[in-house]
Amino acid sequence: MSDNAVNITVLLFGACREAAGTGELRCTLSSPATAADAWSALKQRIPALAQFERTALVAVNEEHAGLAHPVQDGDTVAIFPPVSGG
Amino acid sequence: MSEDIYEITREPINKLGLEQRLLTGGAGAIVTFDGVVRDNTKGRRVVTLQYEAYAPMAVKEMRRVGEEIHQRWPEVERIGVIHRFGELKISESSVVIVVTSPHRRVAFEACHYAIDRLKQTVPIWKKEIFEDGEEWVEGQRPS
Repeated sequence: MSDNAVNITVLLFGACREAAGTGELRCTLSSPATAADAWSALKQRIPALAQFERTALVAVNEEHAGLAHPVQDGDTVAIFPPVSGG
Repeated sequence: MSEDIYEITREPINKLGLEQRLLTGGAGAIVTFDGVVRDNTKGRRVVTLQYEAYAPMAVKEMRRVGEEIHQRWPEVERIGVIHRFGELKISESSVVIVVTSPHRRVAFEACHYAIDRLKQTVPIWKKEIFEDGEEWVEGQRPS
């Protein structure tokens, strides 16, 4: 691994998890990385996720985040549909 | 507030127990919201609901809603939120929210606010299992 590598854990929930067929995977991005980069890498790996591109929400380290949010080595990025609890 | 309660559980929710855990001598009102599983959606018969949670983040976000409430309604004494996950049958409670305060008005207002915010920000999803299929419930994307 070079110094440039940003290794992250990606968590998927709900319809995103089901479409991907997995709830957790590892991803390597190059530095500097944002949540948008994580999304791009993920869609490339799992094309079925592209259908959620316009609706999915992102959290970085358990906090809601925008696509411009920076992602660092060791971070956890969660991708999920708009919430529907209650 | 440190005595507030925020939990995610697979087990049936003990509503009375939650109220008792939150009750203090200073409270004059307890308002409890109990969200239960309905047997139909748009004319389709629902058999069960499956709830999925991003548990650690869900607890954080529930706590954040509680913090917002204590700021907006300083009179509120205690808040308790328990959300279930896993498979739920018709009429079972999916979420129970309890707010206590010295007088009723703020408890009503704060409890109403709590369930509305929970549905916007807390990372939990539900899937409806119908007699003839299944479907994830689409939440509202925050604007």
